[in-house]
Amino acid sequence: MARETPLLPVEDAREAALFFVVAALCFLAALAALSAKSTYGAARAWTAEVEGELTVTLQDVDRRAAEDARKLIEKTDGVTSAHLLSKEEIDELLEPNFGNRGLPDSLPLPQLVAVTADPGVADMGPALQRVLTEAGYDSAVDEHADWAGDVRRVLAITRLIALTAVALLASTAVAVIAFATHAALLARRDIVDVLHLSGARDRFIASLFERRFWVLGLRAGAVGALLALGAAAAAIFAAKAHGGHAGLLPELSLDYLDLVVLVLTPVIAGLAARIAARVTVIRALKSMM
Amino acid sequence: MEPMTLSRLDPFDDIAVRLDNVSLRYDTSDDVLSGIDLSLKQGSFTFLTGASGAGKSSLLKLLYLALKPTRGEVSLFGRPTGRLARDQLSAMRRRVGVVFQEFRLLEHLSAYENVALPLRVVGRKDSDYRGDVEELLAWVGLGKRLHAKPPTLSGGEQQRVAIARAVVTQPDILIADEPTGNVDPEMGSRLMRLFLELNKRRGTTVIIATHDLGLVRQVEAPVYRLNNGLLVRDVEFGEDSAGRRRTDPAKAAD
Repeated sequence: MARETPLLPVEDAREAALFFVVAALCFLAALAALSAKSTYGAARAWTAEVEGELTVTLQDVDRRAAEDARKLIEKTDGVTSAHLLSKEEIDELLEPNFGNRGLPDSLPLPQLVAVTADPGVADMGPALQRVLTEAGYDSAVDEHADWAGDVRRVLAITRLIALTAVALLASTAVAVIAFATHAALLARRDIVDVLHLSGARDRFIASLFERRFWVLGLRAGAVGALLALGAAAAAIFAAKAHGGHAGLLPELSLDYLDLVVLVLTPVIAGLAARIAARVTVIRALKSMM
Repeated sequence: MEPMTLSRLDPFDDIAVRLDNVSLRYDTSDDVLSGIDLSLKQGSFTFLTGASGAGKSSLLKLLYLALKPTRGEVSLFGRPTGRLARDQLSAMRRRVGVVFQEFRLLEHLSAYENVALPLRVVGRKDSDYRGDVEELLAWVGLGKRLHAKPPTLSGGEQQRVAIARAVVTQPDILIADEPTGNVDPEMGSRLMRLFLELNKRRGTTVIIATHDLGLVRQVEAPVYRLNNGLLVRDVEFGEDSAGRRRTDPAKAAD
């Protein structure tokens, strides 16, 4: 005989519905996993812009004294460059708050020095503050640490939510497959009884269901992963087509780790389906003859 | 047919089937079987009769380990089955061939695959048993219907497939529930000869439940009758009043 007929008959209608549900769950899980992974990239992208960047605010100093302070800053160990902002640059910074008509000359404004430091040097902010204070400047050094911390915290929460979604979706898929396996077992009770009476062990009968659901999980997971890949590609395309103006969003892309996530999705779905089917069948068979 | 490869009867106990004070009830019903004691030696040939609903099928289900008794103990090959682990039960079932009254063929499998099923579930390869299965199907008159699915077979043909499936492993115990009910008299006699050959040549313990008193008279073996859940030995057929067989079943096979 060229090929043995499967001992469990194919059940097209029931399995098509299950296939759809598992594929949809895998699609959502893969998207959630990609989202969780993207938070690492976003955190890097958003905080990289302020890593090693400091802003020094000098109060009650004229332009010349501010230039002396800039030179002092530039000589400090770890500082790569220091740039004293011009009046025009300060106007531009304040434009979102005060409009584009410029600020009155009578308005006292602090002098601002944009400092670029080596990100590897620790405690750059306190070091600069100490140098300036010792030189007699009334100054404040902002490392943007609060902003970066907020970004990291928000992204950590987002990542946790995404991973929770992955776990919930995977659990749902396992529960759905366990339910479907139990239904299939009851629907094929006649076959299971004949197999038992022919001397089949529980493991043998379970293996029939395992194979069936392993293949289903693998195929449904592959479809879900492909749909997730399509959705991610569409999002990247849309971001590139319409983005780039605000500068707030990190650049979206798919790297090899994203592809690993997508490749793993059907494998995990297949394994989860197989294990769910095995556990369900073995437990159910114990209540049978 | 190739020699049987499954484990043989336990050498220290020649009792193949033993029921000790066995009772059975389904859910809240009255006892279907009540206080049954039965002991069948290895290589014996036994008929079980009784009116419809007398509990024949229930008794057979206990014997082929599809049910557990409500009370009492069923022992096969000298081993009580009540406390066997599930894998041990499976191993025990492999030594018991069953012809179900309703055949219980798998409809999506061909006649060939149905007959080969007990061999397939123990992991044997198609190439190992193909010849045996084809020969057996030819013997029951289905040599040209190897690939026919049960829904396309007549009742008699399905019954013959079921019988072939029951004997393909050359079991130590063969249990048949109305095995000739759907076949013509000629095929009925032929199938009985198969059972008798298994009994005579292999020492298979054969238990046949039947309404067919003609069949019972033909073989002349011990007859048990179920009546209202009670099992009694019937002296009308098969044996004289002293319990001696009038005819050795083996002679009927010749």
